[in-house]
Amino acid sequence: MPTARLYIPQDVPFELSEIDLAGASDDDLIEISRDSGTALSLDEMRRIKEHFVRRGRNPTDVELQSIGQAWSEHCCYKSSKAFLKEYVFSITNRHVIDRGDAGVMEFDRDHAYALRIESHNHPSAVEPYGGAATGIGGILRDVLCMGARPIALVDPLFFGPLDYPFPRLPEGIKHPKYLLGGVVAGIRDYGNRVGVPTVSGGLWFDESYIGNCLVNVGCVGIAEKSNVRRNAVRGPGDVLVLVGGRTGRDGIHGVTFASAVLTKESETESRGAVQLGDPIMKEPVMHAVLEANERNLVNGMKDLGGGGLSCVVGEIALAGGCGADVDLSRVPLKEEGLAPWEIWISESQERMMLSVSPRNLEKVLHIFKLWDVPATPVGKIVREKRVRLFFEDVKVFDLELDFLTEGPEYCRPCEADAAGKRRKEKLPKTRSRYDGTLLGLLSDHNICDRDWVIRQYDHEVGANTILKPLHGKTGHWSHGDAAVLKPVEESFRGLAIATASNPFAVGVDPYRGGKACVDEVCRNLAAVGARPHSLTDCLNFGNPEKPDRLWQFRETIRGIGEVARELNLPIPSGNVSFYNESPTGPVLPTPAILGCGIVRDIRKCVTSDLKREGNPIFLVGPTKAEMGSSAYFRKTGSYSPRIPNVDTSALRAGLDIVVGGIERGAVVACHDISDGGLAVALAEMCIGGDLGANVNLEGMGRLRSDAKLFAEGTSRWLVEVRKGKERQLPRDRATKVMKMGHVEGHSLRLVSGRTLIDVCLDRMARRFNEPIWRVVG
Amino acid sequence: MKVSDARVCVLRIEGTNCEEESYRCFKRLGAKPEKVHLKQLTGTDVTSDERRSLSDYQLLVFPGGFSAGDYVRAGAIFAARLRSRLSKDLVEFVREGKPVLGICNGFQILVEAGLLPAMSGVMSEAPEAVLGTNDSARFECRPTLLKNVNRGNCVFTSRIPGDRICQIPSAHAEGKLMFPLDSANRIIKELEENDQIVFKYVDPDGELAGYPWCPNGSIASIAGLCSPEGNVFGLMPHPERVFFRYTHPDWTRHPDGNGDGRAVFESVLEYISKKI
Repeated sequence: MPTARLYIPQDVPFELSEIDLAGASDDDLIEISRDSGTALSLDEMRRIKEHFVRRGRNPTDVELQSIGQAWSEHCCYKSSKAFLKEYVFSITNRHVIDRGDAGVMEFDRDHAYALRIESHNHPSAVEPYGGAATGIGGILRDVLCMGARPIALVDPLFFGPLDYPFPRLPEGIKHPKYLLGGVVAGIRDYGNRVGVPTVSGGLWFDESYIGNCLVNVGCVGIAEKSNVRRNAVRGPGDVLVLVGGRTGRDGIHGVTFASAVLTKESETESRGAVQLGDPIMKEPVMHAVLEANERNLVNGMKDLGGGGLSCVVGEIALAGGCGADVDLSRVPLKEEGLAPWEIWISESQERMMLSVSPRNLEKVLHIFKLWDVPATPVGKIVREKRVRLFFEDVKVFDLELDFLTEGPEYCRPCEADAAGKRRKEKLPKTRSRYDGTLLGLLSDHNICDRDWVIRQYDHEVGANTILKPLHGKTGHWSHGDAAVLKPVEESFRGLAIATASNPFAVGVDPYRGGKACVDEVCRNLAAVGARPHSLTDCLNFGNPEKPDRLWQFRETIRGIGEVARELNLPIPSGNVSFYNESPTGPVLPTPAILGCGIVRDIRKCVTSDLKREGNPIFLVGPTKAEMGSSAYFRKTGSYSPRIPNVDTSALRAGLDIVVGGIERGAVVACHDISDGGLAVALAEMCIGGDLGANVNLEGMGRLRSDAKLFAEGTSRWLVEVRKGKERQLPRDRATKVMKMGHVEGHSLRLVSGRTLIDVCLDRMARRFNEPIWRVVG
Repeated sequence: MKVSDARVCVLRIEGTNCEEESYRCFKRLGAKPEKVHLKQLTGTDVTSDERRSLSDYQLLVFPGGFSAGDYVRAGAIFAARLRSRLSKDLVEFVREGKPVLGICNGFQILVEAGLLPAMSGVMSEAPEAVLGTNDSARFECRPTLLKNVNRGNCVFTSRIPGDRICQIPSAHAEGKLMFPLDSANRIIKELEENDQIVFKYVDPDGELAGYPWCPNGSIASIAGLCSPEGNVFGLMPHPERVFFRYTHPDWTRHPDGNGDGRAVFESVLEYISKKI
């Protein structure tokens, strides 16, 4: 290595070098960044060099590695922060309690809930089982370190088409079928073992995910308000206690791996960046952490995720206005012989940092001992805002926290790609009957039954899951819109959890697509009887150094922020994942949104399956001819740049009508209209309830028949109303409410002047239920 | 003994994860449940305040979960720890007629420990049955329907009428009950004679069922077994998850009444209140 001369080995009985930055040219700096695996840019390396030249010394390898972690895109959001501040962080209301590793919101007078979603994309693309499992592990800790008990997991997943021909697969890329199997198994084996139900999620398929699948994981937790903790130390004198798994060489440079584009060499070069999960360490860690916290023995906590110790120590100390002295030789290791820099940045799993007052230390250590979980005091909090590290009594690291944590912030160039605008509209041919189209949509992998996945996850451990992911009469099922949990024993108040994403719409028009995603998550929550309360988002985009990708990002969050602000929905946590591209190109811009809603009384909740012959069916919301990016257009090879827009006054009115109707007991079944439009939504309601429907679409006005059937316009729901309770359904001038037909017979009939669709229920159910089983069963 | 005096030991180790909901079922019915770590019974790493003795309790519960990760075989590690440290206490507990309940992983533990089916004494030397990997080779979380086929021996189902079909959900990867192939028929016959078979998986018509209504491929569609004396009971499905009607999978169609699992807990507490 040409820069070997710049690494000056130190005379100590372990691996430690000083790096001669003062004597390094620009070329050397680039080389050092590359061979240290820190992925820092030349400008960033120059800034580090200047800092140390001013200090009159060179950095150690531990220091340089640490800065590399802290300044990575993953840790400091250097490309996205400016936009997030403008569109997302500023939405607030009195229900927001904290914005830490997870957001914390008020649930009721005495309780709070925590929520967060993040990505584990690159590890899962390289090693699907381990990548997905450790994704679950990490998101659980984010919720746990707020003092909350995890009560639900959520996992939106995005893969290439399952029937993608093997010969077309680019070199070094794994087949989507293998990735799906591995990811689902990873989530199953980790989530089921730790005893947290997986209640919501989603599956999306598109060719753009061939080279870089997306695995997003979300978690929601509950806490008594008095047990909520900040990710901060209380003050000087606090002891830092490292608890949980041992530290090893797994997960080194995970954050820098996540902050670069995948290549065909990722498999061989970055395997070591994927951590190894151990749910049977995590399960007792959760018990012990919660017990210590509930006994008021913990001042603050933070989880060890990206960057490992190097990030957690600085951040937890600085959040309390302090610094820390840490003895790295005390960290329990998986194997001997790790260099200090490896210990400092390893992302080994199942670890948390607790800040404890000295008088409580023994009690805390005892709790962990009972659960056989390692707990080791590794440092103490000091007044001065700097971190010093010692290894075998040698000082190996001494940095001011302001410098370390004050990562760069960029306003990179940001501009739309002109090519997309030139594409011409192409509409599908009209037909006299749409039976085949409906059956084709029902069996589309982006729409069909996901029970192969859902039933591998325990979705009711904890016995608090009131509405499960699948709804229906015994022996029949289709998808619900949101799951509902009852987190507090002595209360009927419920927490609804829903997931939404529409990468297809965002890909055509990121601003409108972003708005549509928020609309969808709100529709999902309302459909079970919940009022939307907060959101958290995982924003998966391509390389932000390319202006068109960054433009997509900015436009998407502008859309998300706009609707969220109008509805007064805070976004107290979230995650940005850039560099989701491979030699085959970037992924579709993919915001995955997890929404939480409040159900006043869970005994009023409704499911999506039709309930009773003779009940009237209503459409809530206006239908327009905007069909761009719809499943129907994709299936028929059509294109339109016109993405459904969101009219927030119609959305708000629709939410009130649906939730009001449910709370009054007038609505007995409800389903939001999304992928596949009205026809698919109604078919799903029929399949779940094993009941047919007869519906007339003439009242929708002068629209093409296919638009009436398959348009995916926003802010719309189908509701089944209890016969005789029609007048209990609220009305509002800001939106439309229209009676369309009845629950009837054993087939689905849709008429508009003439019969458009008339399909027998069993046939629909078969086409809906079987597709995924045929490929992976 | 009054139900309000009945002390329930909900026993756990790392990876046990259904203890909270199991604990709550007994709490709701007025008994005195307690979540106890195995080390509190063996006296390892605990203070004198935390030390417990099995004889302090009237009911022992092994909740569901993945004890010790189920890495060797489901329930095997928990069972090995039990047998090495608590055999004597356990045998005594069962001989006194005190009830023992194992749900899901708890059932697997009872079988691995030799406490079920216990056809050759309270605690057999080696396991007499196995709960093997489901025929589908997958974890199966799905609604299941159970028919109570017990003729009155089991102390956990006395309040469930014989013809009643209960909706009690399953969630496991290793629930296929098997016996040695050469003697399976004889063992089934003996279990029937001893009135040890408690629940069988059925379909919505009440008929003995294959997959998916029997999620694992169990011999004779057996979902739950008790000991010859009827006081040790294990089942794969989760009655603690359907204590209330509103956690049933289709409760929005039939919102009234109790959950189907509640009667299991009521039955055993009634037994304690009358017999202990």
